[in-house]
Amino acid sequence: MTPEELKNLQVTKIVDARGTACPGPLLEAKKAAGTIKSGEIMEVLSADEGTKSDLPKWCSKQGHEYLGTIEESGFFRIFMKKK
Amino acid sequence: MEQKKMCLGLFSGSVDKLTAAGIILSGAVADDMKVDIYVLLQGARAFRKDIGDNPDKLQMAENPNMKAEFLQSLKNLKVKTWVEFFRECKTISDVKIHICGLAGKIWGGEKLDDFIDIADDICGIGAYITATQEADVNLFI
Repeated sequence: MTPEELKNLQVTKIVDARGTACPGPLLEAKKAAGTIKSGEIMEVLSADEGTKSDLPKWCSKQGHEYLGTIEESGFFRIFMKKK
Repeated sequence: MEQKKMCLGLFSGSVDKLTAAGIILSGAVADDMKVDIYVLLQGARAFRKDIGDNPDKLQMAENPNMKAEFLQSLKNLKVKTWVEFFRECKTISDVKIHICGLAGKIWGGEKLDDFIDIADDICGIGAYITATQEADVNLFI
């Protein structure tokens, strides 16, 4: 998805994990995914460089759909749809 | 999909290696792995109730003269303590912590109650070897 499409998504859950280093964002994403329904969209905010590659891989292993990442100044916005 | 299993032989009781174990454990539970941790010799000391994540009672395996900097850096980065990692991971996936009976005794721990409450049972080496044979991933720290 393009950054514009990502910005227009109806996000059900925003997980702000910018305060934590790896593995914080991954664990926060894992916990938050359990609180939303199938088909709903989650956005993870992370300032950790590793999260940018970790979350797409994690999505594919868990069966969630990775939608894309927007790179902001000093952090990433990572979007996914729950399976 | 069948749940993958990880077996972790946790020999070390040093704060740096325990922290690494906590981080690796986090990755495993994020993937819904079933994890069995076998706490061996030095590790059992760290699991004693009076030690746990008290940094004054734990040593560093590497760069021992830099323990204060290491701990401060973890704090600045808001990294959990090893006990906090283990405790949280147990709420996310199936994580069982088994204390080697001999190791416990070496450090004065006879009963499960002598160890921090995240420990599940006391076991023998046979249980560890069986778990290594059944696991998809084996780690030794």
